[in-house]
Amino acid sequence: MTDFARLLQALVSGGVEFIIIGGVAATAHGSAHVTADLDIVYRRTPQNIARLAEALSPLQPYIRGAPPGLPFQFDVETIRRGLNFTLVTVAGDLDAMGEATGGGTYEALLSRSETRLLFGLDVRFVDLETLIHLKRAAGRPKDLERIAELEAISEERRKT
Amino acid sequence: MAEAMELQWVSLEPSPVIEAYKKDVDRTLIRENLKLTPDERIKKMISVLRFVEEVRRTSTSGK
Repeated sequence: MTDFARLLQALVSGGVEFIIIGGVAATAHGSAHVTADLDIVYRRTPQNIARLAEALSPLQPYIRGAPPGLPFQFDVETIRRGLNFTLVTVAGDLDAMGEATGGGTYEALLSRSETRLLFGLDVRFVDLETLIHLKRAAGRPKDLERIAELEAISEERRKT
Repeated sequence: MAEAMELQWVSLEPSPVIEAYKKDVDRTLIRENLKLTPDERIKKMISVLRFVEEVRRTSTSGK
């Protein structure tokens, strides 16, 4: 099972600039769905790429679903050449994205995010309206139920 | 490294499919969750996740 606290601790203590999206952000906004992985959008600056590689190194990141033994190293060069990575680590599953579908770069999401305390850590996650936007942009049939719930959360919030 | 500052345009108009799904959303769960802090919501989700994994482990080991 994914150890969300350990993953977030590694990223925060490593000084990585990132924004939580996906299921964990949905949960933070009030979703009742369960999610098994942590999805983040990381900033694509050379400094932050170096921090991301360094922070995750002790967690032994590897490509999720790939056969064992591939010469994969989640290092600066790999991150620089790639963009979005679906990883398995010793602390669980992590999707590290340079850009989420719908144009969701770190820079685009920053003003649409909020900082909250999770596990005693100040972490940033996308606001509810942006999360709905990203899910709609992804256009995946499996997201339709999630979008309906997120929109219902938005409606419930407006009532209070 | 210039990065896009804007999200791509996406229609946020009501969708008949999403509206249909919305009828099945359990709003009592949402209302209860909205009484909690984000940290409490995440911890509650993790406890549910642990329970689900425990049920899966038990059913698998029982075969």
